[in-house]
Amino acid sequence: MPPMPPNPNNKQQPGGRQAALINAEKPKNARETLGKLLRYIGRSKYLFFGLMAIMLMITLLGLAAPYIQQIAIDCITLDDKKLSVDTERLVKILIILGVVYLMNSVFSYLQGIFSARLSQKTVSTMRRDLFGDLVKLPIKYFDSHRHGDIMSRMTNDVENISNTVSQSIGSLISGVLTVVGSIIIMLTYSPLLTLISLSTVVLTVFVSTKMTKYMRRYFLKQQIILGKLNGHVEEMVTGHRTVVSYSKEQAAVEDFNVMSDELRRTGIRAQICAGVMGPLMNCIGNFGFVMIAAFGGWFSYKGWITVGTIQAFILYSKQFSRPINEIVNQYANIQTAIAGAERIFEVMETAPETDEGTSEITAEDIRGEIKFEDIHFCYDPEKPVLKGLDLDIKQGQKIAIVGATGSGKTTVVNLLTRFYDADSGSITVDGVDIRDMRMDELRKSVGIVLQDTVLFKGSIEENIRYGKEDAPDEDVRRAAAHANADAFIKHLPDGYKTQLAEGGSNLSQGQRQLLAIARAILADPKILILDEATSSVDTRTEMHIQSAMVALMKNRTSLIIAHRLSTIRDADMIVVIDGGKVAEKGRHDELIAKKGCYYDLYRTQFAGNKT
Amino acid sequence: MKLAKYIKPYLPFVLLAPLSMVGEVSMDLLQPKLMSKIVDDGVLGSDYGLIIRTGILMLCTVIFGALCGSASAFFAGCASQGFSRDVRNDLFKRVMGLSFQQTDKFTTGSLVTRITADVTAIQQMVDFLIRGFVRNIIMFIGGVIMMLTLARSFGTIIAVALPVEALIVILIMRKANPLYAIVASRLDSVNSVMQENVTGARVVKAYVREKHEQERFEGANMGLTEANLKVQELMALLSPVLMVIMNFSVMAVIYIGGWQVQAKEMKVGEVMAAITYLTQVLHGIMMISMMFQTMARASASAKRINEVLDTEPVIRDGNGGDIGTKKGTVTFRGVTFAYPESSGEPVLTDIDLDVRAGENIAILGATGSGKSSLVNMIPRFYDADKGEVLVDGVNVRELGLEDLRRRVGIVLQKSELFSATVAENIRWGKDDATDEEVIAAAKIAQADEFISRMPDGYDSMIAEKGASLSGGQKQRMSIARAILKKPEILIFDDSTSALDLGTEAKLRAKLREELKGTTVITIAQRIASVKSCDRIVVLDRGRIVGCDNHDALLKNCEVYKDIYDSQIKTQGDEA
Repeated sequence: MPPMPPNPNNKQQPGGRQAALINAEKPKNARETLGKLLRYIGRSKYLFFGLMAIMLMITLLGLAAPYIQQIAIDCITLDDKKLSVDTERLVKILIILGVVYLMNSVFSYLQGIFSARLSQKTVSTMRRDLFGDLVKLPIKYFDSHRHGDIMSRMTNDVENISNTVSQSIGSLISGVLTVVGSIIIMLTYSPLLTLISLSTVVLTVFVSTKMTKYMRRYFLKQQIILGKLNGHVEEMVTGHRTVVSYSKEQAAVEDFNVMSDELRRTGIRAQICAGVMGPLMNCIGNFGFVMIAAFGGWFSYKGWITVGTIQAFILYSKQFSRPINEIVNQYANIQTAIAGAERIFEVMETAPETDEGTSEITAEDIRGEIKFEDIHFCYDPEKPVLKGLDLDIKQGQKIAIVGATGSGKTTVVNLLTRFYDADSGSITVDGVDIRDMRMDELRKSVGIVLQDTVLFKGSIEENIRYGKEDAPDEDVRRAAAHANADAFIKHLPDGYKTQLAEGGSNLSQGQRQLLAIARAILADPKILILDEATSSVDTRTEMHIQSAMVALMKNRTSLIIAHRLSTIRDADMIVVIDGGKVAEKGRHDELIAKKGCYYDLYRTQFAGNKT
Repeated sequence: MKLAKYIKPYLPFVLLAPLSMVGEVSMDLLQPKLMSKIVDDGVLGSDYGLIIRTGILMLCTVIFGALCGSASAFFAGCASQGFSRDVRNDLFKRVMGLSFQQTDKFTTGSLVTRITADVTAIQQMVDFLIRGFVRNIIMFIGGVIMMLTLARSFGTIIAVALPVEALIVILIMRKANPLYAIVASRLDSVNSVMQENVTGARVVKAYVREKHEQERFEGANMGLTEANLKVQELMALLSPVLMVIMNFSVMAVIYIGGWQVQAKEMKVGEVMAAITYLTQVLHGIMMISMMFQTMARASASAKRINEVLDTEPVIRDGNGGDIGTKKGTVTFRGVTFAYPESSGEPVLTDIDLDVRAGENIAILGATGSGKSSLVNMIPRFYDADKGEVLVDGVNVRELGLEDLRRRVGIVLQKSELFSATVAENIRWGKDDATDEEVIAAAKIAQADEFISRMPDGYDSMIAEKGASLSGGQKQRMSIARAILKKPEILIFDDSTSALDLGTEAKLRAKLREELKGTTVITIAQRIASVKSCDRIVVLDRGRIVGCDNHDALLKNCEVYKDIYDSQIKTQGDEA
């Protein structure tokens, strides 16, 4: 059974208000972010202003409806002077009322449509822009940020913005309009009484912000415990084998029960806190009502206002407190959305990879002569990785780079592909500095097969074709055959059309590796990089891939990073990197005979102490 | 529902919550009456004292209502949180007791969601049911009764409006539910493209496929937007339509009320009250149908929880009778095993193997040849489909699980460390181990050196499953943990792969020296690691194709020779 979330819209925390409370966080530069966010919303100008107009209509209709209803009621009110109901007039008023109600519903529907379109359009553009910027980010960004964090910007943050745009904007506009409208009407009746009813508004805002803060504390605490509990479950479930093999089930259950009970206790407190909020607001609202009744009564006693005014005030002050409450509620949502937007804009504003290459050289022209000259590089200023590396690679040569872990083997690859740029020194391909080349041309001329094979959702065929989109079927099959992948692909249920699961998890390590090799063969690059490409394959399988590798390396300049001797031995040149420099280079036999650092490395890493 | 039994202990709370809710609701229902009193008698009657008195009374009822509401929140909280705690505890206990066949089937990710998110979902549903549902039912029924007491003719309005409203809600929800499912799956595709690009950024860049990925993303993005729009536009229909029904009913009340007033059968005040009650009733039905929606969603969670609770652990404790002397032997007799999910051929076929006490035996074979599956059967992580596995001459199924697992120590392929200090992690092997014992175990495992160099030594915290440690360090810590346990049979499931050969050799020498008499079973990739073992078992496609010492295998076993050639031959001469 697929693990389906119970509800697609609230993933973790059902209950929108709760979620908003927990997640509510202060954005750093709210005004600037809000401005940018508004610009996004502003891209759909017609929708936005349309929505504004609709909200205005809804508010007006909302204010008019009770008024007309009141007239209708008056119509059926009988007193000494009026002895029978004027049915004709009643029907007329009811028709007007019906029209108003109908219009109200029509506009409400339009509002729903408009805000859905506005939010979806905004968010969809935002997602597209975010992704567009994301693929242009330098590798450094991906290496230095947790992948989960980057993902959560796309999911949670965008989701928050979408919710806010579709819900908050609408209710905010109508809330503000209603409040302003009510205040204006009230002011025309009696400024003094208006002031008095506004005082309860101040009280409402004050209490609800205070309460929200208080509630947030409890929800935060609850969230922290929940996080702890989740962490424990995750750890114990993923580490289940270890738990079981040490017979620690009971201990794990006991720990869990302690946390679970703590969660219960905080949960109750948080829930009470939330439960008190409604009645409390109710309390304040009624307090306001009493105030209006008391003062209004006194004023009318003094003859300053009429009884009708009091009734109107009671009606409007009721109409008043609902949107105020809503605005306060939306405040937390909006804050969360802005904080989310801030994180999204942060990604968008991260400097993309710079490509200032002006050279006319294209991937087809490149022959594959590579030269590293006095390269210095560090990921962290404290720890320089390369300290004056020099390397000269001839066209078609097969170079093996070896060295201890952390010596900078992979860094060489990162620099050659311009995943990172060197701090000083220069790298040239065919005598042209790679920074002068167009980045895509450079990368098209380089093919890499990595230790962790990256496969994409799609068919086998599409994955092989990743290196060359327009390759005809025969070429794809030929490449697969060269990579020794044809045989296993043919045995799959749908052959080349077989769909891969996410990350290719329905294939074995070795099969994935073969696909990556086929992909590189099809791309036919002039320069080939194999970064621990066969390390996750057992040696016997590797032997079978070996011929594929040989086929792949033919007629190309190849850089091989490997920890297995079998892959290195046949290299034209072995380069030992130590201390950020090339320590030794030469053929296997020469280096062994020299008994230098390659010999040492060879003894510890490849052969082992022969015991 | 099976989960119902969990609510039983909290029945008093479950009953008290709606009871205090009745208090809150009736205080709420009192408000309009008091308000009209202030207006009619106080303001219109210019009775200033009455305004103050009624005002104070109103505040009192409001405060009382608030207290009742809070009490109801308290009772509901006690009930729902207690209920969810019990479900959660049982669930976790059950998960801990499942066998790996079963956890594999569920997948760890889904188990975690079931214990956390799904339990939260049903907890909220219970809370919802206790408070919201009861409240709305009271409001709804109360409203209907009040209206009917005002005038029978209003009953017709309810009888017409109610089914229409309910029908519309049901229709829209029924249409929306599959759309929500589509939204969820489209969201998944957006996320998966994103995920692939974040993790595979190097390959995307290396093949200059940014544009292609952007197009692919745009496709997924448009799909999601479209689905979202569809569902939101449908849902936008709901409230306006309901509003129309409600408002037209109000108009009907005024119209009918007008005739009644004309006929002197009714007062205007009563018509106004009827409008309030009608709104309440129709609002109530809307809330109730929304709740059914929430319940439908929560019932998906409940189903997923029940699935786990209903799973009986396949691997059950043996009767654990007194088992003879501890000898440290392992015997496989005609063992055949297939993973339940893989429909294909068995991973292991007809395995016969005798591991002698104190023997140092290795298992070698290509990936997927069944090495791990073989050793996983010894501590009963899995049970054989056919044949039997014996430890110390007794079928493992008859041994007590704890007893069996005390005898067998296994170091897994993937080192699993927990958020605790280094010492605490090692001490998993033996809770009451002294510091000296811990250090001694670490020394054997070649871990003491790097642990001592850590900022807090053995008290250093391990965060995020040891993310800051290298693979080799993690492996050595798990080895130390297993050594501390001092089992009679120690299994290394490819757990030295990240060590360089020098360290591995030192570890092996130390093991031989310190753990004399312990049966050691090693799975390894490198021939150099296992060459010196007493015997080497060669597995190929789930069958034993050779079992002897290195020299003999080299002569007689084709597969072994093959592996040897791939590794040793090329490096033999120079070293």
